[in-house]
Amino acid sequence: MPVKNEFDVIIIGGGITGAGTARDCAMRGLRVLLIERHDIATGATGRNHGLLHSGARYAVKDSESAEECIRENKILRNIASNCVEDTGGLFITLPEDEEAGFGLDYQKKFIEACQKAGIDAKAISPSDAKAMEPSVNPSLIGAVVVPDGSVDPFRLCTANVTDAAMHGAKVLVYTQFLDFIREGDTILGVKVLDTRTGQESEYRAPVTVNAAGIWGHGVAQKAGIHIGMYPAKGALLVFGHRVNNVVINRCRKSADGDILVPGDSVTVIGTTSTKVPFEECDNMEVTPEEVSLLLREGCALCPALASTRILRAYAGVRPLVADDSDPSGRSISRGIVCLDHETRDGVKGFVSITGGKLMTYRLMAELATDLVCRKLGVTKACATADTPLPGSVDGRIETVSKRFEGKVSAGQKGAAGRQGDLVGKIKFATPEDKQLVCECENVTLAEIKYAVSELGVRNLEDLRRRTRVGMGTCQGTLCIRKAAKALAIALGDPSLAPKLAADYLDERWKGMRSVGWGDTLREMEFMQRVYKFEKPYSYDEI
Amino acid sequence: MRFDVVIIGGGLAGMTAAAELQNGGLRCAVVAEGLSLNNISANDFKAAGGTLLRGDRVTGGTFGDGRLLSVCTAKLGDVCLEADYFILATGKYFSRGLAADMDKVYEPLFGLDVEYDPDRSTWFDRSFAAPQKFLEFGVKTQNGAALKNGEAIINLFPAGEVLQGISSADHDAREQIIESAHAAAQAILKRN
Repeated sequence: MPVKNEFDVIIIGGGITGAGTARDCAMRGLRVLLIERHDIATGATGRNHGLLHSGARYAVKDSESAEECIRENKILRNIASNCVEDTGGLFITLPEDEEAGFGLDYQKKFIEACQKAGIDAKAISPSDAKAMEPSVNPSLIGAVVVPDGSVDPFRLCTANVTDAAMHGAKVLVYTQFLDFIREGDTILGVKVLDTRTGQESEYRAPVTVNAAGIWGHGVAQKAGIHIGMYPAKGALLVFGHRVNNVVINRCRKSADGDILVPGDSVTVIGTTSTKVPFEECDNMEVTPEEVSLLLREGCALCPALASTRILRAYAGVRPLVADDSDPSGRSISRGIVCLDHETRDGVKGFVSITGGKLMTYRLMAELATDLVCRKLGVTKACATADTPLPGSVDGRIETVSKRFEGKVSAGQKGAAGRQGDLVGKIKFATPEDKQLVCECENVTLAEIKYAVSELGVRNLEDLRRRTRVGMGTCQGTLCIRKAAKALAIALGDPSLAPKLAADYLDERWKGMRSVGWGDTLREMEFMQRVYKFEKPYSYDEI
Repeated sequence: MRFDVVIIGGGLAGMTAAAELQNGGLRCAVVAEGLSLNNISANDFKAAGGTLLRGDRVTGGTFGDGRLLSVCTAKLGDVCLEADYFILATGKYFSRGLAADMDKVYEPLFGLDVEYDPDRSTWFDRSFAAPQKFLEFGVKTQNGAALKNGEAIINLFPAGEVLQGISSADHDAREQIIESAHAAAQAILKRN
């Protein structure tokens, strides 16, 4: 094999765990290859609440997870300031919780457990809670303030990948893991398929890290190793505007649909937890029962949701490690599982990092990288907890805005919010560059060009994950023709536009189909009308 | 206030029917809530003596003996619009001619019978570009008259996209809409 295909470590999976591990390994001086079969953040990383847990949710039952969460919460506020919003959080007690045995006695126990775990939790009166978050259910009988927040998982994942690349890592997206290169009991590297060109290649490294989330089950199988994973589907609903400004949780035993998180211009309710077969993990549909349940529980937190348009439904799969004794999946610890397959299974040069959650990705990456470094005899210490991610070095909009000349436009502010201090790389050279393509999220032509040239964007879904294009209240109804054409031109082939738009519309349609009634159905009719009436798929006049 | 015909909806279907009925010598009122009002036909309609309630909205009706007797509007309050005949041209979901809950599609103004599939999983095709079943749903009719609880409302004629089988979101249905408005107007002119 040519030398250029030799690395120190190969990481399989471009979710937040793989991205964080790639960053950590690269910062410790390793030659890193990261492979991802789709785009970054396409699995569970991009399909969750976007909640910056305080850890309070786990405090009573799982103090270890709670302590991990609050530690990482503080770290992320520091290193990923551009990805985090300090909304604060409430744990509310409702009259029906009291009847179910989770009244104010439980609240007391909850606060004690939080404080023991190092989480700053304090009770406030129901009237103070209503003043803090006017949309909260007014019948609440108790409330606790905790340091919850929201985190943009797409931005966080992108920042980790970008920083890994800035430290020399090679990142291959749309590159599928096929099999291991193996000699006896030693893994020597991987065989991969470029899913766009159909070309197969081989890459070699003394250590390979399996960070493929729920799909890590299949990756390990290729090495003849069984990891008893438990695919726990979680469904969520996105509402048409930002209903609440503070994260609202229920102060009771963890259950379905009891967290309401504001994120950018929308609000998300979730989640459910059901075991699903591995075959379903690639194509999740949210069922009518899940939607009903989430709506019912969401309205208990915030009654205004009953009359708020639902934008879409989506679901992800938690990569939990199985415990056969509990069928619901809730009592499994969200704890981190870092496996050295040499000691566990007798397979050398192979490590799996799984379990855990978005919140603890950095710690997971640190544990995996420590193990990789031990295998390679590298002694450099982990620095990810103290080194800000790109975009968060000084990501405050006021500071970033100073990088622009003249009056700052809405699109420039939007870009500054998303790309943080990297926004200086976006070239607003002509008046056209400042033009808004997506008016819900203030995405400009310049930001699209930047995403293509610097962030590896190849289709509208990739673009959405980098810029939030089409994620706002119109769900792409009014901007996708423009975005498709702009992207096709930036990619150098304007004829791609109809295909780009059609693929994106199918994906948006999928999320809307599950919630297709009421005002969402009105939006769906409108969307059909915009794209089909008279000249279906004619993009010449954009 | 009494008219020969009250037309609910000022879109393509409503204004087409109104013009034809007016040409046939009938005194018409159009209640036009939405934005899709065709200004040219609206001006012609007014010039020919028609009553145009622009920006108003029908809120409900009174039924008796299998007929719609009168309708009330948001702005006229207690003053009802009585007529011998009514045309319902309120369009589909976007204009609220039809509405949907999680498990049913209904006609929100009068509770007319709607043809739809109770199994919501059939409403949408997975492909955005494919024909979508939910756009085919609409008010049921018998000899052109609307059905309510299985009985014909003999003086209420739906026209345009509120009808089952007509949707301009899925294909160019302009001819179909005009044809249905023409049929409704002719049914009234024949009876008069």
